[in-house]
Amino acid sequence: MRQQRKVALPRFGEYNCALKYIVEQGFEARCILPPPLSRRSEDLGARNSPDLVCTPFKTTLGSMIEALESGADTIIMVPGGCRLNYFGELQEQILRDLGYTFDFINLSMYNTGKKTDILKALKVMNPRCSMVKAGKALYDAAQMVEHLDDITSLYYQNCGFDPTGTYPKIYRKFLSDMYAAHSLSDIQEGFRSANHAFADVKLHKPHNPIRIGLIGDYFTVMDPFSNLELEQKLADMGVEVHRLMNVSNDMLRSGEKNKQASIFRFSEYSMGASSTTDIWQAQYFAERGFDGLIQVKSAFCMPETDIMPVLANLSETYKIPVLYLTYDSQTSDVGLMTRLEAFYDMVDMRKKVER
Amino acid sequence: MAENAFLGIDVGSISTKAVIIDESNTILAQEYIWTEGNPIGAVKRLLGHLEKQFDRTAWQIVGVGATGSARRLVGSIVGATVVKNEITAHAVGTTTFHPEVRTILEIGGQDSKIILVENGIAVDYAMNTLCAAGTGAFLTSQARRLGIEVEEMGAYALRSSHPTMIAARCTVFAESDLVHKIQMGHPREDIIAGVCRAVVSNYINNVGKGKKICSPVVFQGGVSKNEGVVRAFEDLLKCPVLVDEIGHLMGAMGAAILARRSLKRTVFDFSVGNMDFITRERSCGGCSNNCEVICVYRDGKMIDFWGNRCERGAAKLGGELSENSRG
Repeated sequence: MRQQRKVALPRFGEYNCALKYIVEQGFEARCILPPPLSRRSEDLGARNSPDLVCTPFKTTLGSMIEALESGADTIIMVPGGCRLNYFGELQEQILRDLGYTFDFINLSMYNTGKKTDILKALKVMNPRCSMVKAGKALYDAAQMVEHLDDITSLYYQNCGFDPTGTYPKIYRKFLSDMYAAHSLSDIQEGFRSANHAFADVKLHKPHNPIRIGLIGDYFTVMDPFSNLELEQKLADMGVEVHRLMNVSNDMLRSGEKNKQASIFRFSEYSMGASSTTDIWQAQYFAERGFDGLIQVKSAFCMPETDIMPVLANLSETYKIPVLYLTYDSQTSDVGLMTRLEAFYDMVDMRKKVER
Repeated sequence: MAENAFLGIDVGSISTKAVIIDESNTILAQEYIWTEGNPIGAVKRLLGHLEKQFDRTAWQIVGVGATGSARRLVGSIVGATVVKNEITAHAVGTTTFHPEVRTILEIGGQDSKIILVENGIAVDYAMNTLCAAGTGAFLTSQARRLGIEVEEMGAYALRSSHPTMIAARCTVFAESDLVHKIQMGHPREDIIAGVCRAVVSNYINNVGKGKKICSPVVFQGGVSKNEGVVRAFEDLLKCPVLVDEIGHLMGAMGAAILARRSLKRTVFDFSVGNMDFITRERSCGGCSNNCEVICVYRDGKMIDFWGNRCERGAAKLGGELSENSRG
């Protein structure tokens, strides 16, 4: 019998648990989890990447190398709305030049808009598997992603107000449940118990807490390693952190149909990738009286750079301060802390005057 | 009975500043020296200078505020009651002395910021991100190239009537542009005035991008002592730019005011000047992140550490720390 394939996706936040589920439950192959992103992954990626490419390219390339080192023989790369669509092709070439032998499933080649095409691409993992089973696993994994995003946003909205310190424990337990899930009922059980555990914690939240909305490029804003744990840092200052940008909202849920139309006063045309969604979310936060916005982007990210003037207009219109953060392969978070502390102080003083 | 006084220390990349104030923000002692790449040494020298200016029988320092890029290190050395980022410190200092201010421009040695104020409250700010163009460090290196002291630049710039055009986008390009103009035989005054303009337009285009600059404008930081840059700001913004006499000390002033407002009180004597401090960078090694952990030692004993991203580092080093505090 042919050996099981060992499949890996570069680390991206905690979404690898969903891929693990699809690969193992749907396609009956093995999933290799690359080690969590670290300075080493970043170094490996940066060393082998073009210099001016955006940081997510480097991080994901580094993670692919680490996956191959851990024994993976098949690498999956996702498509996207910007240069990300070409990442896979270039990364495959770089890895081959480095001398690795592997199969590469580049989903952007199958990104035709038909869901069955994606399924066809993934079938490479195990040609003899049942398509019904694979389809079921994709459906379950979509639920897992939604639960993961729900729990994650609940966590960052509340963990800054948890005096007992049990929030991080519940969150970690939930993540390990998701990585270990074998069935839809495992997923639902993990979600339920995390929700119950969260509900049992007595929060010390003031009546009108400081609320900050995060927007930004698809990878950097969602991946805690890449944004130097921005959400945790803000939460630790006692902020309710809101982030709408996640895989569920962007790909699985229908949400508002025509975002471009509802941000017409700020931007008439899309600037590609996450730009329209970002402006829409910024407007969403501003309309709901949030205290501040933070734009999180990787250096050299074109769509995010393009929306900065739009955000400045929005900030002027709604009188909401915006902090622009640009990330590259940094090793120190001192500069980040200075900016965050100052932003917090400013928002806090404003709020005190309003009260 | 000695009256309460408050010390504010601002340790920047290039210069180290301190003030001692009383309950009504009157300056009792002040000092401005170069950091010279040695923040610990600079603070010790600084304290030495302050001690001489200051009547220790009439006043007692009961609160210390630390700010600037070395605030964490200096804060743990002097036992600061308040450690605050320099943006907040500047905003607090300036709005205390100029409550009507709307825009604070600040250019320091390695960074530059803009703070927008409404009704005495900071409402928006920006700080240079990836690039150090348009900061004091650029002016210093160009002064050296031209063979003059950075302090003299302002006087030279004011004598110019036709400032040379110098590309302002990026320090590297500005520098090659500058060399070219020197070799073309442009007068020194014009070149210096051009450099000052380049700093200002870089600041407005990068840090001030999309920010509405309203009058009254206060300009501070070390570079505000350069009249050429002040003139260039006034020309470009078309409004008067106020430079406070103590503008270069405003960060330290803000820190001192924050120490005064805070409820924490600890008596500070100048004995730290005689103690021996070293910092060591240790690689945590708990995981592949290899966090660089900074450890501060006083007379050979660890008093503080930071830089670890997770509890593994804290657990490792925290034990050593608590042993020291017990012993």
